Amino acid sequence: MRKMLAAVSRVLSGVSQKPASRVLVASRNFANDATFEIKKCDLHRLEEGPPVTTVLTREDGLRYYRMMQTVRRMELKADQLYKQKIIRGFCHLCDGQEACCVGLEAGINPTDHLITAYRAHGFTFTRGLSVREILAELTGRRGGCAKGKGGSMHMYAKNFYGGNGIVGAQVPLGAGIALACKYNGKDEVCLTLYGDGAANQGQIFEAYNMAALWKLPCIFICENNRYGMGTSVERAAASTDYYKRGDFIPGLRVDGMDILCVREATRFAAAYCRSGKGPILMELQTYRYHGHSMSDPGVSYRTREEIQEVRSKSDPIMLLKDRMVNSNLASVEELKGRKLLTPVAGERREEGGLKQREPSTVLNASQALVSRAQDRPDAPR
Amino acid sequence: MGPPLGPSQWGSRLGAPPPLPAVCGGAACEPGLPVGMAAIAATAGRLLRLRAAGAEGQWCRLRGAGLQAASAAGDAAQRRHVAHFTFQPDPEPQEYGQTQKMNLFQAITSALDNSLAKDPTAVIFGEDVAFGGVFRCTVGLRDKYGKDRVFNTPLCEQGIVGFGIGIAVTGATAIAEIQFADYIFPAFDQIVNEAAKYRYRSGDLFNCGSLTIRAPWGCVGHGALYHSQSPEAFFAHCPGIKVVVPRSPFQAKGLLLSCIEDRNPCIFFEPKILYRAAVEQVPVEPYNIPLSQAEVIQEGSDVTLVAWGTQVHVIREVASMAQEKLGVSCEVIDLRTILPWDVDTVCKSVIKTGRLLISHEAPLTGGFASEISSTVQEECFLNLEAPISRVCGYDTPFPHIFEPFYIPDKWKCYDALRKMINY
Repeated sequence: MRKMLAAVSRVLSGVSQKPASRVLVASRNFANDATFEIKKCDLHRLEEGPPVTTVLTREDGLRYYRMMQTVRRMELKADQLYKQKIIRGFCHLCDGQEACCVGLEAGINPTDHLITAYRAHGFTFTRGLSVREILAELTGRRGGCAKGKGGSMHMYAKNFYGGNGIVGAQVPLGAGIALACKYNGKDEVCLTLYGDGAANQGQIFEAYNMAALWKLPCIFICENNRYGMGTSVERAAASTDYYKRGDFIPGLRVDGMDILCVREATRFAAAYCRSGKGPILMELQTYRYHGHSMSDPGVSYRTREEIQEVRSKSDPIMLLKDRMVNSNLASVEELKGRKLLTPVAGERREEGGLKQREPSTVLNASQALVSRAQDRPDAPR
Repeated sequence: MGPPLGPSQWGSRLGAPPPLPAVCGGAACEPGLPVGMAAIAATAGRLLRLRAAGAEGQWCRLRGAGLQAASAAGDAAQRRHVAHFTFQPDPEPQEYGQTQKMNLFQAITSALDNSLAKDPTAVIFGEDVAFGGVFRCTVGLRDKYGKDRVFNTPLCEQGIVGFGIGIAVTGATAIAEIQFADYIFPAFDQIVNEAAKYRYRSGDLFNCGSLTIRAPWGCVGHGALYHSQSPEAFFAHCPGIKVVVPRSPFQAKGLLLSCIEDRNPCIFFEPKILYRAAVEQVPVEPYNIPLSQAEVIQEGSDVTLVAWGTQVHVIREVASMAQEKLGVSCEVIDLRTILPWDVDTVCKSVIKTGRLLISHEAPLTGGFASEISSTVQEECFLNLEAPISRVCGYDTPFPHIFEPFYIPDKWKCYDALRKMINY
C-alpha cells in the first residue's frame, strides 16, 4: 500500500509541480549522500593534490544539478534571442563549461572574489545574480546588472568583478584584488580566470610574478576549452601544459567537465591560498559547444564529430545526473522534473526581462542631442 | 546572421569577388544596406531629434513612423541597425588600368597581394590571418604565397608589434595585423617607444620603416566598448610614425600600398563598417595615393567640412543637406593622413570659406579635431568668420546600446553647421 501511495504521489508530484511534496516523497527513498571517486589531478610543484574521493550530499547534488541546468538553459535561450536579434553586439556562450562555474562556486565562499574574461554569463549566475538580471543585461534593459550598458561582456555582481573584454587584462586586476584580500586580513581569496588564448599574453606573467613575490592569495585559473577563438591550443602555445606555465607557482590540472573534481580542486586551492603559501594555478580542462561567439559557427576549426563526442561522453550535466541516479541520490524522473522547472522559469523570466524598458538614460541622451553637439553631458546616469 | 559557413566557402582566390556571407570569429559586420534604407534612416534620424523630449515613447514612435519596411515583429530593439551614413562611391578611376568591383576588404586583399608579389621580403602576420582573417582581408594569401609569408601569431599584441619591429629592422617588409584597433593598447609602448624612435635614436643607423600595422577601426553598429574605438588621436601625439585612415576601397588600396612602401612605420586604420558596405571600382594593378595629402572631394565657398574614414560619407551628406536646405556651399575635405597631416590644404580652404567644421567618432576631448582646430586658428585667425566647430563623440567609453546617440551623425553636424552659418 505504501509503495503504491509512493508511486502515485510521485506521478502526481511530477504533474503538480509542488517541490515540497516531491522532496518529502523523495527523501523517503533516496540516500543522503554518496562517495565518489574522482580523477587524480596532475600536479606541478606540489607534493600532494586534492583528494581522489569526495562525498556528495543529495542536497548539494540537486543544487549543483539545478544550477548547471539553469546555466545551460540560459545560454541556449541567449542563443535563441541572439538569432532573433533581440540580443545584439557580442554574445559568448559557455554551455559545456557549466561544471567550471558551478564547481568553482561550490569550492569557495560567497565572500571570496572572482574575476573572469568575457565568457561570463555562467559566473554571473553562480555569483548570485538572477537569470532575469542577466537576460535583461544581455538585451540592454534597465533591469540588467550593469543597467543595460554593459551587455554580454560586462556583467558584475557582489564580489564578482566581471565580465572583461580585453583578453588577459583581468589577470593583473585579479592579483590586485588578491592583494586587497591579504591586506584586509579576512581570509578571502581571489579566483582569477582566463582562457587558453589569454595564457599567452604578457601581462599574465607579470601578474604571476607579483603574486608569487608577495604571496598573494590568488588562484589563477586557466579555463582551457582547447580553442582560442578558432585557434587550437597546439597552434597557439609552445607549451600546452597550462598548469605549469606559472613556473614557480604550483599548479594542478583538473578535469573541468566533472563538477566534483572541480569542487575538490577548488577547495584544495583555496585552502592552500588561505594558509598563506601564496598563489596557485589551476587548469580546468573543459569544452564549449558553441563557437567562440555567436558570429562563429564553431565548426570550421573543429569537427562536428568532436563536439558530439564530448557531448555524449563528457557532458557535465549528464555526468552528474548519471552519478546521482546510479548511487540512488536522486531519480531520473526527479531530475527531469527539475529540468522541466528551470526552462519554464527561465522563459518566464526572459519575458519579464523583455518587457522592461530601455535604460532611462535614453531620455538624457536624446536631450543632449537637441542641445549643442559640443555639450559634454555628465556620465550617463 | 547568415547561415554558417564551411571552410570551403571561404578563401576564394582573388579574381572573383566572393559572396558576402557572415564572418567567422570576432565581430560580424552588418552587411551593406541598400541605398533605400537611407530614406528610412533620414526619417528615423529626424524623429529622434524632434521627439527627444518624449523619449520614453520614442522607440514606439520610431517603430510606427519610418520603419514599416522592416519586419512587423513589433520590437524596437530589432530596428536599430540602420546605418548612420550612406557610402558614396567615387567614379571609376581611369588612369590605373583595368578595374574590378571590390569592397573594402577585397581592396585590402588586393593591395596585400600586390605587395607580396612585388616584394619578396614581405610577410603578413597577426591573429587568425592565415585562414583569411576575421574580416577576410587576407583570404587566399597563404595559399598563394605560402605559410612562411602569411602566418598566425598567438594572442599577444605587444609581441606582434615588437616582433614586427624586429623583422623591419633587418630590412624585410613587415605587415602586422592587430585584430581590432581597440586591442592595440598593449602594443602602444612598442609603437611609441620603439618603432617611432628607432631611426632617431640610432642616428639613422637602423630603422623599422618597413613596418606597417593594420587594424580595423571605428564604429560598426554593435561593437560596444571594445570593438568600436578610433584611437588615431593617441598615435597622432607621437612623432616618428604615420597614421592613415581611408574612406573607400579605392583610397584604401592606394593608401595601404603607399604605407607599405613608405620608409617610416605606418599605422593603417581600416573603417570596419565599410568592409562590406563600401563597394566601388578599384584598379587591379598596384597604384599609390600619396600620404600626407588631404583630398578636396567637393569644392565649396561657404564652409569647410573636414573628416576621415567613415565620417567623410556623413559630412558629404551634410554638405548636400546644407546646399538643399540652406543654400550653403560646402567644401568637403577627406584628411586621409592623420599624421603628418596636410595643413596647407585645410588652411587654404578655410582662408576661402572662413568657417571650419571637423567631425570624428572619437571622443571630443583630445580628439584629433582639437589639433586641427588649434593649428587652423593659429594660421587663419583673421579669416575665421565663426568659431571652429568640432562634432565628435562624447567623452565617454564607446557605448553598447547608446551608440545611435553617441555617434556624431549628420543631424548633429548639420545643427553645428547651421549655428556656424548664423554666428
